[in-house]
Amino acid sequence: MSESASQAPEAPKPPGLAESPASVAPVAGAPAGLAAGGVGAVGRQRGDLLYYGLRNRKLVFGLGLELLLVLFAIIGPIIAKYPPLALTGAQLQHPGGTYWLGTNTLGNDLFSQLANGLRESYLVGALGALSASVVGMALGFAAGWRGGILDEVLQMITNIVVMIPSLVLLVVIGAYLNSRSVLFEGIFIGLTTWPWVARAVRAQTFSLRSREFVDMAKLSGKRPLAIIVRDIAPNMASYLFLVVILLFGSSMLLAASYDFLGLGPTGIVSLGTMMNQAQNEAALLYHEWWWFIPPGVVLTAMVAALLVANVGLDEVFNPKLREQ
Amino acid sequence: MSVSVENLSVAYRSRRGDVTAVDNVSFALADGEIMGLAGESGSGKSTLGNALIYLDPRMRQTGGKVTLDGRELPIADPKSMRPRRMTEISLVPQYAMSALPPTRKIGKLTGDLLKSHRVRNQAEVLTEMRRRIELIGLREDVLGKYPFELSGGMRQRVTIIMSTLLNPSLLIADEVTSALDVSTQRAVGEMLLEFRDRGYVKSVIAITHDLSILAQIADSITIMYAGRLAEKASTDTIVNSPLHPYTQALIASLPAVGVRHDQTTLTGIPGRPPSLASPPAGCRFRDRCPFAFGKCRETPPFEEVRPGHYVACWKVSQEEQAG
Repeated sequence: MSESASQAPEAPKPPGLAESPASVAPVAGAPAGLAAGGVGAVGRQRGDLLYYGLRNRKLVFGLGLELLLVLFAIIGPIIAKYPPLALTGAQLQHPGGTYWLGTNTLGNDLFSQLANGLRESYLVGALGALSASVVGMALGFAAGWRGGILDEVLQMITNIVVMIPSLVLLVVIGAYLNSRSVLFEGIFIGLTTWPWVARAVRAQTFSLRSREFVDMAKLSGKRPLAIIVRDIAPNMASYLFLVVILLFGSSMLLAASYDFLGLGPTGIVSLGTMMNQAQNEAALLYHEWWWFIPPGVVLTAMVAALLVANVGLDEVFNPKLREQ
Repeated sequence: MSVSVENLSVAYRSRRGDVTAVDNVSFALADGEIMGLAGESGSGKSTLGNALIYLDPRMRQTGGKVTLDGRELPIADPKSMRPRRMTEISLVPQYAMSALPPTRKIGKLTGDLLKSHRVRNQAEVLTEMRRRIELIGLREDVLGKYPFELSGGMRQRVTIIMSTLLNPSLLIADEVTSALDVSTQRAVGEMLLEFRDRGYVKSVIAITHDLSILAQIADSITIMYAGRLAEKASTDTIVNSPLHPYTQALIASLPAVGVRHDQTTLTGIPGRPPSLASPPAGCRFRDRCPFAFGKCRETPPFEEVRPGHYVACWKVSQEEQAG
């Protein structure tokens, strides 16, 4: 589009309203400013969402479970008696009073590992979701809004990133690094999963930008960035919200699988590394169930709760899916 | 003279070359003038209106100059046009009913627009907006409503208020009444008059194919045919004594009050307008014109045959010269 993000230096002429101060007296004691008329409608809309949100069993169940797990991730590491990598000396203890979830062959306290691992998983999930959605939305909005050659180039980049096998890339990058951090893993996941966000956002922007209200915004001299943020993005807000949640869940799963393969962050404990160690030490073979079942259950519950909450949210946002 | 357009040409780019939809058009608008711009579909009237404010990427200015309040309007330069939209020149589009974003409340939306134009005294402008909303008989609580909570006619009027909020010199009203029922049409027409009288807008170009609404609100009417201006004169003159054969045929094809059509049939204009991709040389109405003669193979100039009355027709120019 020929409209570019221009920053016109001169301020436009002030509207000629000041010449009749008597005539612009506030009407019926209405306070100046925007807030006056708006409050009622906002309250009503928020109320609507809250009403349908609390009535939706999927959302309440999913969010409730997720909240419990988050609480566990916050409180668990504090109440754990040992640091996650400390050697307690007691090896392969069954769950009990001293070691709540038992210990592994090295003598690490598994409760502490689980709580700390869950915290790392959430951290990686948040980092991955954040970076993927920032990159994906920025490129998607840019490609969809400008179109033309920029769109072609961005689409090409997107397609290339889709084609890169992220596991191989991770192995190659890992070979050059002495140690990998949680930050690295989160951002790596983000930078390899953004393409589908970019594609979906681009497609929606493409269809929205030809709507009449966007034309009108251009005709009124609104800035392109303001049009994208204020006119286009809100029309897909619920979609963007769901995208972030899905990215959050999938980032945690991806991180767990990288960790399980031994490609995860070094020097920390995560749900994936717990399962990796259990696998290496043949915990399944020796029936050491307390070692691999808790991380598996927690991981499944954490992602499943997100997905269930996601379906619920979809129903809340989309009036057509609301049950009567 | 708030607006003057000189020899403006606008073309649409297409694979088979430029299609000149507005061809060498010149006219001027006095302060406070409401000019009706009429013509059939495809005559270029909307292209002309749009080109004055937003030349979309498919359109190209191929010549001419536009002056607004003594300053040139660089219509082909989006960067310098952006700050002048809404502050100096505004357009109410054909689709005014769907011109409001569904997710923003009217008041918020207005605030966005003011912010985009770096308007400092926002509170004052919004108070003025409330006043104008009440002036046209709506309740001021529309500011806190979403567009879908308003009826079509209300949305149309709110769009007009928003476009004129910064008191632009020129308002282009493109088919603002077409999608409305007759009583709302009248209300919107009167609103334009009221806004002009109060100085909210200096001059108005009202684009429509509905001559009857123009007869009610316009000071002058310009008739466009196949990308060119055919005739411009005061509303009375166009309605009662048009000179251009096309205008005459157009007026004759409207039903008149008091005439029963069971005996007389309404006549249309036979034939079709020419394709603008390869327009014929000379007068473009020649093929459909009952008075066409040899000279019509040359392009007639758009000249002032009587004071304030411009016509582009060889026959008219000859007759006026003769007597």
